[in-house]
Amino acid sequence: MARVRLENVTKRYGDETAVDDISLEVQDGEFVTFVGPSGCGKSTTMETVAGLTQPTAGRVSIGDDDVTDLAPKDRGVAMVFQNIALFPHMDVYENISFGLRLRKYDDEEVRRRVEEAADIVQLEGMLDRMPAEMSGGQQQRVGIARAIVRNPDVFLMDEPLANLDAKLRVHMRTELQRLHRELDATVIYVTHDQAEAMTMSNRIAVLNDGRLQQIGPPLTCYNEPTNLFVAGFIGSPSMNFVEGTLVEGGLETNNFTVALDPSQLPDVGVGDAVTLGIRPEDVHLSSYAESLASPTDRIDARTDVLEPMGDEVFVYLLLSEAATGSMEQDPAASPNQLLMSVTPDTDIEADQDVDVVLDRSKIHLFETATGDALVHGITDLPEREPGTTPTEADS
Amino acid sequence: MSDSTDPNDTGGIDTAGGGPPRDPTLRRPDGGTTALEDDRDAELDRGPFQRWVANSISHPERVYRAMFYVAAIFFLVTTLFPFYWLLMVALTPEGQLQDIVVTPNGFNPGAFIEVFEVIPFHVYMFNSFVIALASTVVVLVIASLAGYAFGRLEFPGRTPLMLLVLIISFFPPAAFFIPLNDLFNTSFVFLEPITGDGTLYNTPFALVTPLSAIFMPLAIFILTTFYGQIPDGLEDAARVEGTTRLGALFRVIIPLSAPGVATAGVLTFIAVYNEFFFSFLMTDGQPDNWAPILDGILAYQGQYEVLYNLMAAASILGVIPVAILVVIAQEKIVSGLTAGALKE
Repeated sequence: MARVRLENVTKRYGDETAVDDISLEVQDGEFVTFVGPSGCGKSTTMETVAGLTQPTAGRVSIGDDDVTDLAPKDRGVAMVFQNIALFPHMDVYENISFGLRLRKYDDEEVRRRVEEAADIVQLEGMLDRMPAEMSGGQQQRVGIARAIVRNPDVFLMDEPLANLDAKLRVHMRTELQRLHRELDATVIYVTHDQAEAMTMSNRIAVLNDGRLQQIGPPLTCYNEPTNLFVAGFIGSPSMNFVEGTLVEGGLETNNFTVALDPSQLPDVGVGDAVTLGIRPEDVHLSSYAESLASPTDRIDARTDVLEPMGDEVFVYLLLSEAATGSMEQDPAASPNQLLMSVTPDTDIEADQDVDVVLDRSKIHLFETATGDALVHGITDLPEREPGTTPTEADS
Repeated sequence: MSDSTDPNDTGGIDTAGGGPPRDPTLRRPDGGTTALEDDRDAELDRGPFQRWVANSISHPERVYRAMFYVAAIFFLVTTLFPFYWLLMVALTPEGQLQDIVVTPNGFNPGAFIEVFEVIPFHVYMFNSFVIALASTVVVLVIASLAGYAFGRLEFPGRTPLMLLVLIISFFPPAAFFIPLNDLFNTSFVFLEPITGDGTLYNTPFALVTPLSAIFMPLAIFILTTFYGQIPDGLEDAARVEGTTRLGALFRVIIPLSAPGVATAGVLTFIAVYNEFFFSFLMTDGQPDNWAPILDGILAYQGQYEVLYNLMAAASILGVIPVAILVVIAQEKIVSGLTAGALKE
């Protein structure tokens, strides 16, 4: 096991920059997930660690060794592939033992280690099957066994669960976590599925457009996203964003104003465009306001569509009548809509006028121009003169 | 009579209404109104040819089957009859070689033994076999590397280079002959330990080298197609597991492209084995000097007599290795030539 360090790794294909100056360090035994939308460079970044892609600039090191110029086979890494990539002309035993046989281990040692690996992934008794005779889940387990049998320093997993059906995916997710605990291995995991990233990893690295946006524990990325992209990408359904402008004593948006002291915000001042972000679970009906430590003022809204999910209900709120035509966009991103999640026993219907409040401690503010986060939770940014009640305040 | 049980039912298109013809142009030449208005009656009125045409229209598969047999028999006759005739010539004793059409004039199976007694024909066969095998190996190795590069790598100038290979393959082999012959007759000091006099003339190299080059482009094209279809993930997996790119080519890509490799190999083998021009001119025709089968067959042609029966027998014997090869490999060749696709 070993740590992995990327220093200023850049990969360009002609004029296209796939990976742009990424630096990060994965600790020994850590499970780090690269997450981001398609084409964000997460797979390319992993390939530079595997050695399948040569970075245009930057260094990659594993343990204490600089491996930038080493061939994949000499890096002590094992990889699990999205398309599983078992050798179709070899049976399971030959597939798992491929790397060991290439390294000229003696037959007994090979057999012992293959059986041990097959045991870990629960493939006993299937060693003489051909890959084509197995189900997708079994094939991917062979892929994982092929990776663990060599006892590598680092596991690289490139969307290993993407080709499996939903139920199997959840099952394999827990299997991989168990495996990580058992082997105490350094794992770099690539996925576009933020649920996988949130549930499995010690830390997640959010990538977009080839740049590292944020790296940190899943809940840090969830609660304190560094910019609009991370805020919108992590969490499902995604965060509501409302664009507004700072005015004296508050943030003014199309439909409501949130009281705060702009002079307390770093880097911005009155007149600057600021985007307010609030997660659906932090939007509440005003009847719930008393139980919040720091609610905002009431906001008039009208319910549009209800999506009962069983354990919660997603309510699409229209803040003004003009918003009805914007259903083709992502509702959470639309300026006049808010997505609210409520418990299923809440008494609420479609096309009903309601008052909602936002939890001030969960409001994120982002500078609209750069997308960078300004502050997470505005409880500490009250009105200019604490004690007095501003006009917007609800008594 | 119900229309639905009628074997010639047209699905009600022409029988709709069943009354007088809706349009005079629907009147058929045989006097019927709407041709299939009442098929039983219509058939009674027709001659045999018309009946046959009507049958063919309603059962086209019969016609296709008949056409298949006609075409198949035609091709079988044109390809196999010369071979049969060759056998008849071979079986006819020397001196009676006139008017052979379907039966031999006499019966002399000894010709197949005599072939080896008159000249050392087995040496010629061995020479041809070695030359064809060596060329095939050379072609497969080099074309595999080229096919890998063309099929799996992105590099500047790939398409122009591929076109260049294609263009060179269109050159007539005769264009290369004079310079090559000159070259092979030039003595090089460094070749003396290998060939004795330092020239390549009268050695297998004089045939293997040009023939490999001539049949290389076809093999490159076949293998490029096959290697290009192997998913990248498999090669990546092999490389991470511990092979080099070259190792991945030999351990994963080539085994998975077996039909393509077999196709390229067999086609090359047959082409080299059957080649005339270089085979005839690059040796002096002596069996000790690596002369191929071609020279062996022509050796039955003396100054005063031509032993046609032995030439025929030798020709048949010469075909046997190729025939065996094709029978063994035909399944792979067919799948290689037509499909070329790999599941995954």
